[in-house]
Amino acid sequence: MDDFQTDEETGFVVEEVSKVIKESVEATIGKNTYQHSRVNHWSAGVVEQCLSQLSKMGKPFKYIVTCIIMQKNGAGLQTASACFWDNSTDGSCAVRWENNSMYCVVSVFGLSI
Amino acid sequence: MSDLLKDKSQRREKRIGKVPSEAGHGGRGKETTGKTKDSVSTVSYMDELGHHDDNARMAVTMENTYQLGPYKRFPVPAVTDILKDVLTSYLQQEKYEVEWSQKMTKTICEVIRARVKDLMIPRYKIVVLVHIGQLTGQSMQISSRCLWDASNDTSASYSIKNSSLYGVATVFAVYFE
Repeated sequence: MDDFQTDEETGFVVEEVSKVIKESVEATIGKNTYQHSRVNHWSAGVVEQCLSQLSKMGKPFKYIVTCIIMQKNGAGLQTASACFWDNSTDGSCAVRWENNSMYCVVSVFGLSI
Repeated sequence: MSDLLKDKSQRREKRIGKVPSEAGHGGRGKETTGKTKDSVSTVSYMDELGHHDDNARMAVTMENTYQLGPYKRFPVPAVTDILKDVLTSYLQQEKYEVEWSQKMTKTICEVIRARVKDLMIPRYKIVVLVHIGQLTGQSMQISSRCLWDASNDTSASYSIKNSSLYGVATVFAVYFE
């Protein structure tokens, strides 16, 4: 197979993706405290910014971005994922972010085309 | 700080190492804790991404299929029924406990994936996400957005709630060309 592109250019690089996620969460939520009325706006902002940054990388992937924002009051939350895909090309990355008043969990799945 | 660096270099070795990747799930790495001012973040990911793997199985060259779309679409109602069935049978009568729900999210994920695989829909990749949370009067929001081909790729979702917990399951199906 004539493969002129390296893994770094076409593969799912967790470091890059996690950086994108962290940046978009920081930019959107930052130091804000939990406000019920703004959560809708924040979560839309986080997924939107993640997705636009990911698509700017120009890699041959379809992306699924999920964002959970939860108020901090001692409640527990567990999330898990299971995938049926090509392990050699596809990848996932999840970032758990928290500040004083809320948790934000962003997971990104990249499925190669 | 040096600890963190060491940790990082070890991880890299692990990933470059020529260990054949175990099938599917299994190894999930969880490290890299960055601390900035008043927020904390943790990254987790599949530890053995196969693309550094030299002795992965030989690529089989297939003949062209000239197939432009799926022969069988992803049946969203059938999958929603599966989600409803699995969530109700596993969660309806339960009370929230931390360890139990850590195991339960994984179990439910695997069960749903197996049942969706049993539907035998060719050329679809599946991602299953399950959340279980405690109900203590907090508010939360789950949102997702996808960059994909909207004509073939879909998702199905279902959620249930009882007096002490809620469960949300989502299945994303992505057509593989």
